[in-house]
Amino acid sequence: MAARAQSETQVLVRTSGLGKAYPKVFHRRDRLRALGRLLVGRRGADAVRVLEGVDLRVERGQSLGLIGENGAGKSTLLKLLTGVLTPSAGSVLVNGRVGALLELGAGFHPEYSGRDNIALSAALYGLSAEETRAKLAEIVEFADIGDYIDEPVKHYSSGMSVRLGFAIVAALRPDLLITDEVLAVGDESFQKKCVRWMEQYLSDGGTLILVSHSMYHIQKLCRQAIWLRHGRIEASGGVFEVTQAYLAYHERKTAAQEVAHANATGTGTEFELVEFALNGESADVPALIEQGGSLVARIEVTSRFGREPVIALGLSRADGTTVYGLASDMDGRHPRRIDENRYAVEIVFDALPLLPGSYLIRAHAMDSEAMRLFCTVERGLTVRGESRELGMVRLAHAWRECVDAGSQRGAAP
Amino acid sequence: MPALRLALHFIHRDIRNRYLGSFSGGLWALLQPLAQLAVYSFVFVYVFKAKAPGADAPGYVPFLALALWPWTAFSEGLSRATTAIQDNAALIRKVAMPREVLVFAAVASSFLIQGIGFLAILLALRAFGVPVHLSALPWAAATYALLSVLALGYAFLFAAVQVFVRDLAAALPQLLMLWMFASPVFYARESLPERYWRFVDWNPFAHYTEAFRGALLGSPAQTIGGDLTAVAVAFGILAVGLFVFRRLNPHFEDFL
Repeated sequence: MAARAQSETQVLVRTSGLGKAYPKVFHRRDRLRALGRLLVGRRGADAVRVLEGVDLRVERGQSLGLIGENGAGKSTLLKLLTGVLTPSAGSVLVNGRVGALLELGAGFHPEYSGRDNIALSAALYGLSAEETRAKLAEIVEFADIGDYIDEPVKHYSSGMSVRLGFAIVAALRPDLLITDEVLAVGDESFQKKCVRWMEQYLSDGGTLILVSHSMYHIQKLCRQAIWLRHGRIEASGGVFEVTQAYLAYHERKTAAQEVAHANATGTGTEFELVEFALNGESADVPALIEQGGSLVARIEVTSRFGREPVIALGLSRADGTTVYGLASDMDGRHPRRIDENRYAVEIVFDALPLLPGSYLIRAHAMDSEAMRLFCTVERGLTVRGESRELGMVRLAHAWRECVDAGSQRGAAP
Repeated sequence: MPALRLALHFIHRDIRNRYLGSFSGGLWALLQPLAQLAVYSFVFVYVFKAKAPGADAPGYVPFLALALWPWTAFSEGLSRATTAIQDNAALIRKVAMPREVLVFAAVASSFLIQGIGFLAILLALRAFGVPVHLSALPWAAATYALLSVLALGYAFLFAAVQVFVRDLAAALPQLLMLWMFASPVFYARESLPERYWRFVDWNPFAHYTEAFRGALLGSPAQTIGGDLTAVAVAFGILAVGLFVFRRLNPHFEDFL
């Protein structure tokens, strides 16, 4: 603890030009050839690069989130940091004791009981038998898996393995905690327990590297983030900036697929949506606005027989949850006819109360009676900002009978 | 020293694991080589009428026992260590650790268990009236320790190669069988035609059969030169084994 306090700015992890390539092994012959090559001191020739040129610097007390798609190299990077893997390029430097929870189970032996595995993990971490005994009760209590602690680990559910694994790491109180998708497996109450523990650990000066697909957890626990893509760092910096860039990228990816799909579901060409501009931008990229900024949606519809369409607009979260929807006929409005077969509307949201995140915004063209849907166009919308509020929209509110806590953790402006 | 502590943990786990699950428990460690010795004695003494060389030889059973027990420790340690890395792949993929410990623990636990059996059989032979020189026990213990160094050298080599070439573990029982019969375990060097005697020295294990018999039964002993050569060979093979193991170690994960 004392050492932690006095070396505030100490670099705990530093990598430069870090890369990892796995050998391509298809045949028995390849293994033999690889053996021969390695014995004479040469590297394998054919290799699949999974990580390239990663420069990383983590100081004591920092919390770093690692995000990216499956196969982006996140787990490989963690394994390189913990020393399980040897880099094929570049270097890794780690000061201090590392507690790692890689994937599920943290290297448990399936045939041994939970207790025996605790002893093994403690021995691997370098604890003596007495130190292990002292920590045993704490670990058993934190894991909270009841009598299963004396059962072989092979009978555990994946949730129980993670409970035990996390309990062990928590008891070891490492200088650097590395966890890979642990929170995804535990149940709600255990997740909360872990998050609470990690927050306490961080406020005590601990250092964290967290891999998660949950942007919620990343934003809650980390101040910095790195987005890995195809084994390279795509973006790094503040957690909000990086996670939003990452979500926007996903948005683009799914939007490209879904617009094609949505357009294909139009049942006819009697009404066709020909223009859908957000803040004057009609290109097929997610619109980007600042939190609390304004949004102007301009929609133009062609009508084959000159009949007036009903135009609707829907806003949903990336996961499909509807946030808000409205239609011209509901509000008693008529689209303006701009020529024989063309109608237009503009819908203006001043100070859009959406919280930062990724959203989908859809425009629909319906017939005059709003009975049939003819055409849908979907676009992504990214709201940028720093906020720890939960949910999708900011509800107007005021605090009473309380004092300003002066939170330093990026409270909403 | 954390590595040593870790090694002790693995040795403890290994020993407990091997004997706790079986009904006879720790007794099995003694029963298995005893049964083996009984079968071999029956075959060689009653069927083949084998005799230990020398006029005042104390009989074939002690002659055989003194070479068979070290061989069992040696071969068992070797075959367990060969798959030590592969068997602990789940651990190696998730935790950074000195992997030498896994190989060391496999060899050490075999030598510990067989060592206790060896000691027990020596005392039993003595109780049955065989003139075992108990005063030579410290010397025998040192020889036994040297044998474990030799075994460790081969173990590092085999365990590392096994990660890359999986055929090794499958071929090992045959290889060990051949090695056993090529060593003067069932026979003495003197029983061979004289022109083959010098070839026996090419077998690193041969020294130990003669060293144990020489020290404990008083049969023709090794010279000092032979002992020094054995020390050099054991540590030489350990050095080679460690070199190969350490060179391949960074790449284990890629091939497991």
